[in-house]
Amino acid sequence: MEVIAKPKGGMNVDKMAEKVFWEAIKMLGGLKRLVEYRNLTWLPSLAEAAYVLVLKNEAFKTYREIAEYLGITEQTVKNIATADEEAVKKYLEGELEERPKEHIAGGIAKLAYKKLKEEKRLDEQEVEMYHDEIEALGIDWAVHVLARIRGTHFPLNKDELKEKLEGIVVKGKKIEELLDKIEYPVKSPAELLHKIKVAAEEG
Amino acid sequence: MTKYYELKELESKAPKLFGIPTGTKLDEMFFKVEEEDGKFVKKPLGGIPYLAVMNITGVPDTGKSVFAEQFTVTQAAHGYKVLFVTVESPANFLYTALKQKAQAMGVDFSKVEQNVVVIDASESDELRENTRALIDTMAYAIREKKCTNVVIDSVTGLYEHKEVLARQIVRQIFNFLKKWRQTAILISQKRSSQASESAEAAGGLAVAHIVDGTIVMDKKIIETRWDVNLYGLPIGSVLRTIRIDGCRLTGHDSRTWVFEITESGLIEIIAPLSEYIKKRGRLVEE
Repeated sequence: MEVIAKPKGGMNVDKMAEKVFWEAIKMLGGLKRLVEYRNLTWLPSLAEAAYVLVLKNEAFKTYREIAEYLGITEQTVKNIATADEEAVKKYLEGELEERPKEHIAGGIAKLAYKKLKEEKRLDEQEVEMYHDEIEALGIDWAVHVLARIRGTHFPLNKDELKEKLEGIVVKGKKIEELLDKIEYPVKSPAELLHKIKVAAEEG
Repeated sequence: MTKYYELKELESKAPKLFGIPTGTKLDEMFFKVEEEDGKFVKKPLGGIPYLAVMNITGVPDTGKSVFAEQFTVTQAAHGYKVLFVTVESPANFLYTALKQKAQAMGVDFSKVEQNVVVIDASESDELRENTRALIDTMAYAIREKKCTNVVIDSVTGLYEHKEVLARQIVRQIFNFLKKWRQTAILISQKRSSQASESAEAAGGLAVAHIVDGTIVMDKKIIETRWDVNLYGLPIGSVLRTIRIDGCRLTGHDSRTWVFEITESGLIEIIAPLSEYIKKRGRLVEE
């Protein structure tokens, strides 16, 4: 008879979010197709959406808790969590001419999350093998950034961010260099991801 | 976006109706109605409905924990994983109680040991006071240990000093159990001053409106001549009763039944109260 006497979180939210993120990219056609999509602006949103789904469905957080945790609005959390994934799927497959009102990244992340759950792969330790490839493509940084700033209260200044994000590489550039280029204070994780992305693309 | 379902869409998601044995005669008191040769026939379910969250309520010392333990041993002995959240009694006492029950029921205790996972909230303030921490821990246990049944003894202990939050806490737990597809027994305490024969009470009321069904356990001390004549029991003895107060998932016997807790600590449901009175009355007359 096993006795659990202390509270357990029981899950690695970061790992699961990373897995949903990766599965979503895979669903978009894998590494090869990803190159064609590289101008898409929603990869950071996809990382956010992956976190929203894991926090909601695996860690049972409320919309408000998730919003506070990720530094986004409750409405965005809700939009992600309730996105109609089938409509998004049709849109991506070209069946819909007009862009649906759904949260696109949310819909993709939901499809990925459902697939992982159905195939019972969400809990399995398999993400490690993809790390090198993700890193080689420079798309893993958003997940790493979100993982490092977890539970941090915004706004944040440069020094605080440098301390937390030290060592992360974004599209081949050291994050410390990119952090020198952005404006402060940074008000939310979403703003941080956006600013880092813009700084990285500006070169 | 508002999500709605056509009734047909729910067919594949609807749980099958069958019983999860409790190890007591209560298993025969839940039934379903099936059509056979053009006639509707009542068939015992063989237990509480699968995936039901049942509330067992009653004043102190009516046998609620005995019932929870008997259910746990029955399920574990059948090879199903049971998550037992003990809020009142420390885990080591629960171990002894389950061992005794297993012996009395003649089942292999090693199998019970293997299939019961205990969350000891009795000695952890955080697990008792912070529902979210408890739910996360339950999720961990259900996921890691593949539990299919949950017992919480008692859910009242989770809102002892904050009864205004009772419904909120019970709702959170109920939703969690539904989401994780568990068949569950929640024990809830009633104060002795509250109407003992009904599910109404601080604990009872909070729980009863949320859960799928309520079973009320009660006891009566024979203390007047009237009681002696009516029940055919000597003064000072205890008459225990059990009744399914309601269950929205399936049909059930709604009569009050008399039960005993045997010397070996098992619940033995004897007869409907009306029949019991008739029989005992006759014995007294003879």
